[in-house]
Amino acid sequence: MSFRFPGTPGTGWLGVWLLLLLSIARLSHAQTLVDCALSLSGRVADHESRADLAGATVVVLETQQATQTDAAGNFHLHLCPGLYHVQVTFLGYETETAELRLERAVVRNFQLHPSAVLLRGATVRGQRGLAPTQPTATLSGQALQQTRGQALGEALQKLSGVTAIQTGPSIFKPMIHGLHSNRLTILNNGVRQEGQQWGQEHGPEIDPFIASRLTVVKGAASVRYGSDAIGGVVLVEPKPLRDSAGTGAELNLVGMSNNGLGAASGAVEGNLRQVPALSWRVQGTAKRAGTMRAPGYYLKNSGFQEYDFSAAAGWRRENYGLEAFYSQYNTQIGILPAAHVGSPTDLELAIARTRPLETSGFNYDIARAYQDVRHDVAKLTGFVQTGAAGRLTATVAQQTDFRDEYDKYRPRNDNLAALNKPELSYTNRTTTAELLWEHRRWHNLTGSVGVAGTDQFNRYAAGSRQFIPFYTNQILGAFWLEKWQRGKWLLEAGLRLDRRDLQVKRGDRDTTGAFFVARSRFQYTTPAASLGATFDPTAHLTLNLASGLTRRAPAANERFSDGVHNAQYELGYDLVPGNGALVPETALNIGLTATWHDNPRLNGEITVYQTRITDFIYQVPILPPVITIRGALISWVYQQTDATLRGVDLAGTYQLAPRWLLGAKGSIVRARDTRQDQWQIFMPADRAEASLRYEVATQPAARLRQSYVQLGGYAVARQTRVPDHYAERDYKRPPAGYALLGLEAGTTLHWGRQPLEVSLAGANLLNQRYRDYLNRYRYFADEMGRNVTLRVRVPLELRRRAASGR
Amino acid sequence: MHTPHKNTLSRLALLALLATTTLFGACKKDNDKDDPTPDDDNEQITTVTYTLTPTSGGTPVSVTYKDLDGDGGTAPTIGTLALTANTTYTGVLTLLDETKNPVVNTSAEIQEEADEHLFVFTPTPANLVQITRTDKDKNNLEVGLQTRLVTTSAASGTLKITLRHQPGVKNGTETPGDTDVEVTFPTTVR
Repeated sequence: MSFRFPGTPGTGWLGVWLLLLLSIARLSHAQTLVDCALSLSGRVADHESRADLAGATVVVLETQQATQTDAAGNFHLHLCPGLYHVQVTFLGYETETAELRLERAVVRNFQLHPSAVLLRGATVRGQRGLAPTQPTATLSGQALQQTRGQALGEALQKLSGVTAIQTGPSIFKPMIHGLHSNRLTILNNGVRQEGQQWGQEHGPEIDPFIASRLTVVKGAASVRYGSDAIGGVVLVEPKPLRDSAGTGAELNLVGMSNNGLGAASGAVEGNLRQVPALSWRVQGTAKRAGTMRAPGYYLKNSGFQEYDFSAAAGWRRENYGLEAFYSQYNTQIGILPAAHVGSPTDLELAIARTRPLETSGFNYDIARAYQDVRHDVAKLTGFVQTGAAGRLTATVAQQTDFRDEYDKYRPRNDNLAALNKPELSYTNRTTTAELLWEHRRWHNLTGSVGVAGTDQFNRYAAGSRQFIPFYTNQILGAFWLEKWQRGKWLLEAGLRLDRRDLQVKRGDRDTTGAFFVARSRFQYTTPAASLGATFDPTAHLTLNLASGLTRRAPAANERFSDGVHNAQYELGYDLVPGNGALVPETALNIGLTATWHDNPRLNGEITVYQTRITDFIYQVPILPPVITIRGALISWVYQQTDATLRGVDLAGTYQLAPRWLLGAKGSIVRARDTRQDQWQIFMPADRAEASLRYEVATQPAARLRQSYVQLGGYAVARQTRVPDHYAERDYKRPPAGYALLGLEAGTTLHWGRQPLEVSLAGANLLNQRYRDYLNRYRYFADEMGRNVTLRVRVPLELRRRAASGR
Repeated sequence: MHTPHKNTLSRLALLALLATTTLFGACKKDNDKDDPTPDDDNEQITTVTYTLTPTSGGTPVSVTYKDLDGDGGTAPTIGTLALTANTTYTGVLTLLDETKNPVVNTSAEIQEEADEHLFVFTPTPANLVQITRTDKDKNNLEVGLQTRLVTTSAASGTLKITLRHQPGVKNGTETPGDTDVEVTFPTTVR
């Protein structure tokens, strides 16, 4: 059964607009007086608690007749027949106006929304001023706490519509609506993350502990963030620097049973009483994991370690502010040796095996092959209020990514081997700058204008194997976004223009083995445009329609990857004989989201989208595999086609009973290669998740508070929508579907003044053996077996102690 | 009274600073004009030749695997080994890195570090040819740069030659260490 949209995108647009227009177009007309003794009565109550509201004011706008509700919330009025607008107001509640046609006596009840709901609504609108109107999903608070210890890409999978391209237990590249890598922009504390994105097994070099909130913009946000945001944006946002005097700290501890992972992350922040403008924070994380256990065996050399730290200092006054930030990320990740095989026959055998030939016991050693990565970010940002007109923000950042990859094979020469040098040693340095001016509201319009520049160069060390050539990449972009907001409507439009200059110097050998440097240069001016609308028909429903057009110039890795790393061979498009050069891809994106929110029982969100990408750039396996002097290797090459991706994301919660919350999520992606008229390769399979959560009732002063138990199930179907003649397209068919069971319990222990949050979570409780279609290890090994995670969080307020210690 | 004035001044100064740093950052030119160089430190083996001389005299036969542009790119050329039935040959393996100038004789390096290397010969079917390693390292373990190859009846199949790199762990078996070379030659015995 193939998935279809309700109608074509065109009629979808039309339908929504009609619906929206109808709901506001019913205007009233005055009526003549005939019989003016018709009764209008009713009761006014609180929408949430259903409690009667005494003393609420009921006004008939046309006649200006007014009355107040009695102690039981009842009101009574006499009117002539006709069409009226009745307004009900009550302090602390949102004013409600209803249109009534009186032909006989009418009973009309009103249920008012507490204005807290309205305030929440207002907060959301405030955020809209900054964030794009696209649907976003956020992980923060306890939901984020439940992912502590996981890699960034792994944590993001909690959000519907977000999956990951995975390589083993520790490397996750986020994937939104089937798009990943060069089509996703990750903003790490406001800085566009630029690492060596060329490997699908290069996870984002970010410490997730730095974030107090992870936000995913689902859908193109290219106008604001540049052409690499076709698929969406991941925002990794730390807590704002402390604005109240004092010193605070937080300690996070995580332990996992499966791979013996231990992680500790701490942060200390402060604001000086004597110098209120000055705030600071230091933060650090240490993480170490040993051999991962799949059901029945240990996955050899799957350990990893990570050491990160960051520091921030800010000077903030009402009219200006300056903030400096520095972070460093270090990791070493072991690579599974199962991919290192010999002849094509051995490769076939390794892929056919139900478990890798080489397994091991448990240890924390990281042997060859492994990756050693360091990522530094330095950022300076400041803002100035430009009078009453707006605010100017400038951000300059430099990040350097050092990536060393050690092959499993040591050099034959003992002197070389003793140096223990990496076979691949890359440095990527990126300077980004952005100047943004946000203007204040002017005739219902708010907006921003900005320029952004990127200067990037990529080099490899002498003696390193070439995989990605030397290149410099310069981007200069300018954008303009305006939002028009009035009543229940928010419209947004944006334009961007990017100039990209990619210069490549590639070492190569001709057929006689003679070395030469091939130079090439690619210059493109690419536009992006967006148009969106948000409409709140009621206090509980928000409808959003977002559309975007983006043109993206190909990156260096898509053109010129060439060589072996981590026992896989990759080849860029431009290097395939007869291919010519890649052309930019053009994406047209439309998404419709309905959010049902702030309801006492049922809340949820549904997103339906379509992304049409002409000249879509993607990677496929090379069959038969490329043969090198060391034998056959899993091999990949970039291709270009036209693709249409459609899908639905669904997420909802239902309050079954006061303490019981039922949750469900699901996502479906359907991607067609329209040029070859077949399914697109490597798209996420259909998945669904359900959870049941029980919040334990506790006394306000109890020692244990906010206790909960949560049972969850996660199911992924087999991907059956794959290209035709699949045996000739991939080394292995997509694995079977799987279902995983999870159980989690947590509480907050109040012990003295300091609370202590503790939780215990079990994943894959039935120790299910499974493989995932989007994990590159699936050719050789199973996923992680049963895992129990203990998480402890201790927030500390040091202010009082510091004061009494003086 | 002068506070607003001071504020305006400092704000203006900051504004100027932000603008200039941004522009400076955006316009920073990449000033290194370096070019990639041949990766001379990186060991490669481009060529494997197995030369077989009949012990009874006669013309030697040889077979070569050659991949001058390294991994990927142009596919390697792999020759076919044509042997005569019921013949005994003396075999010599030569490994070269022809990307270097002068060409690196890798087999000489392997000879020097013979106690860390082992060649493994795997004919398919197993009775296609019979190969015995005739050279030994300082620990009296076989190496395989020198071999004796015996053919019997006419047949065809493949011969896989594997070089195992076993620093510190060589024990005469194939298992320890890593594979440095693995080439497979189509082979016929007539």
